[in-house]
Amino acid sequence: MKLKTLLLATSWAALSSFSVQALQETAEKEEVQSPPSLPGEVHSKIDSATPGLMPVKPLKDVPEDILALLDALPEAKREFVLSGKGASVLKPDLMYELMRKASTQEVEQYVDTMLTVYDQVQYKQGRDTDQITLNTDSENYNTWRVKRPKELDPEREAGPISLGRYLGGGRSGIPTFARSPVALSPEDLVAGEVDVAILGAPLDMGSGWRDAIHGPRAMRMLGRGTGGADVSTMIDPGKVLNIVDYGDAAIDQLSTERSVQEVRDRVREIAETGAIPFIIGGDHSLEYPNVAAIADVYGKGKVGVVHFDAHLDTGRGRVHLLDHGQPIYRLMKEAHVRPEDYIQVGLRAHYSKSYYEWEREIGMHYHTMAEVERRGWDAVMERVLQEATENTEFLYVSFDVDVLDPAFQPGTGTPVSGGLTMREAIPIVRRLCAETNLVGFDIVELAPALDTTYVSTLNANSLMFACLTGVAMHKKGITQKGFISELSSEHGQTDYYGDKK
Amino acid sequence: MKRLHIERKSNILCAAVGAALMLSACASTTKAERTPMPEVAISANTQLLTDQELAFINASDELVLYNLTPEKLAVKLAEKSPQEAKQLVQALMQTSAQRRYQANHTASKATPAEGIEEPLAYLADSDIIPLNPEAGGYNRQRVLQPALFDRYKREPGPFSLKRYLNEEGGIPTFANAPVAIRKADLVAGAVDVAFVGVPLALGSGWRDDKHAPTLLRGMYGLSGYSVEGGIDPTLAMQVADYGNIAVDNMSPELNIEHITQQLTDMLEAGTIPFIVGGDHSIMFSSVSAVAGHFSDTPVSVLHLDAHYRGERDKDHFYSDEQSVANLLEASVIEGENLIQVGLRGASQNKSALMWLRENSVKYHTMAQVERDSWPVVMEQALTELSASAGKTFVSFDMSVVDPAFVSGSGQPVAGGISVRQAMTLVRRACAETEVAGFEMLGVAPFLDLSYNTALSANQIMHACLTGIAMRKSGMDNANYIDPMALSHQ
Repeated sequence: MKLKTLLLATSWAALSSFSVQALQETAEKEEVQSPPSLPGEVHSKIDSATPGLMPVKPLKDVPEDILALLDALPEAKREFVLSGKGASVLKPDLMYELMRKASTQEVEQYVDTMLTVYDQVQYKQGRDTDQITLNTDSENYNTWRVKRPKELDPEREAGPISLGRYLGGGRSGIPTFARSPVALSPEDLVAGEVDVAILGAPLDMGSGWRDAIHGPRAMRMLGRGTGGADVSTMIDPGKVLNIVDYGDAAIDQLSTERSVQEVRDRVREIAETGAIPFIIGGDHSLEYPNVAAIADVYGKGKVGVVHFDAHLDTGRGRVHLLDHGQPIYRLMKEAHVRPEDYIQVGLRAHYSKSYYEWEREIGMHYHTMAEVERRGWDAVMERVLQEATENTEFLYVSFDVDVLDPAFQPGTGTPVSGGLTMREAIPIVRRLCAETNLVGFDIVELAPALDTTYVSTLNANSLMFACLTGVAMHKKGITQKGFISELSSEHGQTDYYGDKK
Repeated sequence: MKRLHIERKSNILCAAVGAALMLSACASTTKAERTPMPEVAISANTQLLTDQELAFINASDELVLYNLTPEKLAVKLAEKSPQEAKQLVQALMQTSAQRRYQANHTASKATPAEGIEEPLAYLADSDIIPLNPEAGGYNRQRVLQPALFDRYKREPGPFSLKRYLNEEGGIPTFANAPVAIRKADLVAGAVDVAFVGVPLALGSGWRDDKHAPTLLRGMYGLSGYSVEGGIDPTLAMQVADYGNIAVDNMSPELNIEHITQQLTDMLEAGTIPFIVGGDHSIMFSSVSAVAGHFSDTPVSVLHLDAHYRGERDKDHFYSDEQSVANLLEASVIEGENLIQVGLRGASQNKSALMWLRENSVKYHTMAQVERDSWPVVMEQALTELSASAGKTFVSFDMSVVDPAFVSGSGQPVAGGISVRQAMTLVRRACAETEVAGFEMLGVAPFLDLSYNTALSANQIMHACLTGIAMRKSGMDNANYIDPMALSHQ
């Protein structure tokens, strides 16, 4: 398999001068990679490119005439400019240009202004707050997350609650994920020997268009796409697996920071029962509590993550410790996942070179749409599947629907053109969920109000179904890579393909 | 108070009787509370409850959380044995206790690796939300660019982005107006009115308010002649687009100071700010800026909204639901100087209205409009607004308008006023009182597939612009309408 992929890649590269060029560029920039980190240890280079934590670089190659101008200034001001601190508020080239046109007095005015602005920009204890205070006197401090006492409802045995009125259950009209029965506690999961518990987490703090709050609701209400047999495998996940709707995790819609602990607790309690949590977001900050909870159960650095996304989500050094652009950094910074166990797929948003350089430095595995353009989807898919089983025993899959092309997924808050098709996404999701030891899965950033049709929600449901199919295959012990049903992929009346046995 | 208690007790009895006799609805029995109670010996199963527990089952405010009333709970208790009843009440009380902040209580089972900090792991039990002071350029987002750093220097003053003399398209700006991006531009241009976007989207409904400033810049309806006023406000006055104010869309709390400061800059320049939000949490900053700047003059607020924004006792200090509560609590304005029009919907409940009354807020619900008709309510509101003879601030939330006219409100409530009614009230308020500022909040464009919400929002703002221009031209008498527009003769 590996050899075949390599050959394929080489022949394509040879056909395309662009690709050859790209290969050369890579060869020239060959870097020494840092040693792999140990499970539970923070990678030594984790903050080598974090804004605020990188050393300030002194100005290089300052022109002679500018040096002469600076020499006329008081020592402290001269030092400030040369230290490079000023460069963060006024770019050196522009500063040179402005100073060349300025009088001696004006040069000093420039530096004074730079000092003032630099001071305004920096965090200053006493002047700037480093925390948001909350109202601890409130009777409602925790009301958002307090659980309903079970004594209020009729007593029942632990186990999934069927909502069906008719024979066989399941057809009551109450919208649940994949038309599943409902479970509300770990006891329900254990009693029901639940394989997959689907949890809604409607956190709506994403930075694009916001409507992720309605993602879980939309997927429950549509239902379509989540039942029956999968044509590629002839597997009916609903018959193989015990699937439940685990309700929603409580969310504080004014604070991602507060919400994620609650989500982490809910995801952890699912994983502790041995069930696989499927989390339906909500924005992508959820990847942090989801994967941290999985690491709580399966061990720090023991779980690999495949991150489908148009975005890198490795943002860092921002005022807020977590938002939907920073989950990966936070997970690695807290050693839940090792950088080399992170596999990103479908990247194409407009991130600068430095982001990719840092990912290389710490050993992450990224697969951009540029790689898909160069190698073709099948080759990239095989490589991802291989990487997903190489390093770790367990795998978590985080699926941001914006990895799909907006043609398939207008209903997302952060769309980027040029993404995956559903035909590309379904097989890789199914195969990751079938061919690895999947311990968690999420679908995030579905924003239904941005799609006046049902299409975005249907596609999100279909991707969840693809993973459910994979989990069912895994449970049935289908180990063949890329398994496709012979029955459904061939009518068998003729030997058209010449491979009839 | 005592009487209330007795009544409640009889209700409990009635409820218990209802349950014991399998009556279908106890509500009917409750209504007829003056009819003699049947002589039935029943047990409410509360005999094991302590005084504290008995008090709890009668505490309506607490029971609301469980969607229970003392009556409904009594029915539940009657179905149980005394032991079970006590168990249920204790469970409810324990749950209620968890609502409050508990210092040093850690519910999380997060398992940080040794020596690794997890700043977010125990947050729900912490009394703060930590930020990251190590962030590179902590305040960068809110720091203004000094004019000195401009590569190409220019004189201060509003500048046009149009190439042609008579251009409607091109670079979209509010009201097709020239741009003023610094306080000095407003001062130099003696700008009367400047629009400013505040793309904050932390409201409690659909969150798309952040796109309203952009969408409204690209929409018609904000400039030109007004038939009602007989004046073209954008011609009669110096109008400018002041750009957007930077916001932190991860926290309402972190925006208050900066928005207030930026609006104060505008007021100091002698400019009337027209704020295009943004969610309604902005109201705290905007009214604070206006009341702070005109500290010697009484400031009245005309608040058009389906929502009263007076939620109290929340875990967060600031949000779109709390602006009015925050303003009154901080005594930024007095309740008697706040006139609310258009209230409706479930959050405007009895305790909300009671609180408004206690604070002397002059509220006008849609129930009043239903009974008294719109012109009557509008006149009353305008009379109340002009009573203080000071400055007026208009806080307009798109939810005041019926969703049939504007589906693009982040918190829509059916049964609102029409765009026509909104325009008339706004124009008159701006013509007949001294307006110090206006805000258009709660516009969520993606909820409207048409141009309707954006166009209506602009035309409602245009109505206020018209009013201000009318007043400047001396046409400030009550309900002035241009005679030319009223008759063809």
